Amino acid sequence: MMPRQRSGGAVESLFAAPLRLARRLRGFLLVAALLALWEASARLGWVNSSNWPPVSGVALALVRGWTGGELLQLTASTLRRMASGYALGWAAGIALGSLLGINRWVRYAVKPIIEVIRPIPAPAIVPMLILFLGVDDLLKVVVVALACFFPVFLNTLAGIAGIDTVLLETARTFGIGRIKTLTSVILPAATPTIAAGMRIAIGIALVVTVISEMIAGSSGLGYYIVQMQYALRPEPMYAAIISLSATGYLINRAFVVLERWWIPWLGR
Amino acid sequence: MRHSARWIFGLALGAVVGAGMAGAVKAEPEKLRVSIIPINDVTPLFSAIKQGYFAEEGLEIDTSPSAGGAVGIPGLVAGSFDIVYGNVVSMLLAAQQGIDIRVIAPGTKIEKIEDDSSAMVVRSDSGIATGKDLEGKNVGVNTRNNVIWLYARAWIKASGGDPDKVTYREVPHPQMEDALRQKQIDGGFMVIPYVALASAKPEFKAIAHPYSAVQLGVDVGEYLTTSKFLADRPQTAAKFLRALRRGIEWYNANRGTPPLLEIVSGFTRIDVGLLKQVKMSPSPMRVDPAQIETTMKLMIENKLLRGPIAVKPLIFEPAL
Repeated sequence: MMPRQRSGGAVESLFAAPLRLARRLRGFLLVAALLALWEASARLGWVNSSNWPPVSGVALALVRGWTGGELLQLTASTLRRMASGYALGWAAGIALGSLLGINRWVRYAVKPIIEVIRPIPAPAIVPMLILFLGVDDLLKVVVVALACFFPVFLNTLAGIAGIDTVLLETARTFGIGRIKTLTSVILPAATPTIAAGMRIAIGIALVVTVISEMIAGSSGLGYYIVQMQYALRPEPMYAAIISLSATGYLINRAFVVLERWWIPWLGR
Repeated sequence: MRHSARWIFGLALGAVVGAGMAGAVKAEPEKLRVSIIPINDVTPLFSAIKQGYFAEEGLEIDTSPSAGGAVGIPGLVAGSFDIVYGNVVSMLLAAQQGIDIRVIAPGTKIEKIEDDSSAMVVRSDSGIATGKDLEGKNVGVNTRNNVIWLYARAWIKASGGDPDKVTYREVPHPQMEDALRQKQIDGGFMVIPYVALASAKPEFKAIAHPYSAVQLGVDVGEYLTTSKFLADRPQTAAKFLRALRRGIEWYNANRGTPPLLEIVSGFTRIDVGLLKQVKMSPSPMRVDPAQIETTMKLMIENKLLRGPIAVKPLIFEPAL
């Protein structure tokens, strides 16, 4: 062991730091290689299309868009719609999920309707919803809320169904009222499941907001992407797509942080 | 005495408030919400806004762009818009479905062959020259069952082909060139500005101009509203038409000039340098019901409409 350690150790210590760095950089290197390939494919004409700009052009558009404030404003307007729809969706999901979870009769009556509506993709009902809601923000907020509702609703229902009956029986033994049982026993016990539903919903929320802006928008990132596509300006279009992806990533990270604070007992 | 003093005071107050309100009314122009597609066709509207013609009529135009044009008529029905820019096929389809729709002002018309920029574009080496050559092949259209699709079919028939033997594939306008290059389609019905860019390249060739080849003088697009709007606000409708017509005159007189290109670039976001390569056709001053009827017959022939519709009653009379 000693000799091996001596010879190997020297090599190891010589290369340890760069290796660690390389390992850490591996992810970045892959991305960098892909970006270089993108740049080359556009510059050298491997991809012959006016819709395929070099990545350096996209980077420039990204910098210009953010420093000029346009992308910030677009992202903010998309986020505003998303947040309203999301809040409405999860609030309704928890409320209705709890109601159906604790009352068998309501469950029998309402669940079939929800199951029929559930498979309809939100963007498919946009043209119909326009007739009732117009084309402004209300439309997009409702579409987003509808899309966010189902995962939260189903998870709330599942979370409540999965509660240990001993908990409920204990509550009953202590003579705790129904509302109090719901708020102090049922909902806290179902929280991890509900939170999982909310996290699924937040991913959906951003996607659906952008899609609804693409279909019926006149502002926001979704509209901008389509506008730039039609204006034959692929650089700002990809800059918006990259901003969108970064926004999605950050939202997800923020949610994880919030979740840790909200449900610290969740296995971590 | 006290009574009359109160009266005088009341009158004075009324006069002051009234004058204030009148002032406010005068300062507050009547707002119209207009749905547009950010394409060259609506340049006269933006010209009229820019030149202040609407403001002179006491109107304020709030344009709401819809990139795909999918929300125009549904938004009109829902009351989100007062006026929408739409194509003639969408208008007639809506009318057939019993939707309360009226043509308030002229939009786009192809009066001369040389003004028809939109074209059926093929790969130069494909050997395709007529509709007959397209049989068994794929043709790109932006939307099936709409205006581009209709005139693509009509042109294929007119040039000896059977339109039912052609497959129509939906390709967004900006991607038409790529789809042609990658052989996903063999012909593409392209519009400006995309057609100008594609046909400038040696690998592509414009083989026909379906609109003018099928129906010279076709009214491709119009400004639409509801009969309710025309009945409730006839003065406003007349003002809109008057200001828009001045915009059309300005546009026709300034086609291709830098100030006009600036306007187009402003609402389409297309680069001015790129717009210089695009030929802009003149805009019509009036709506032509005979042309709309011809389109209607084509639609019946291609099973887009079940039967004829009385066209003239759909048009706001001063626009004729």
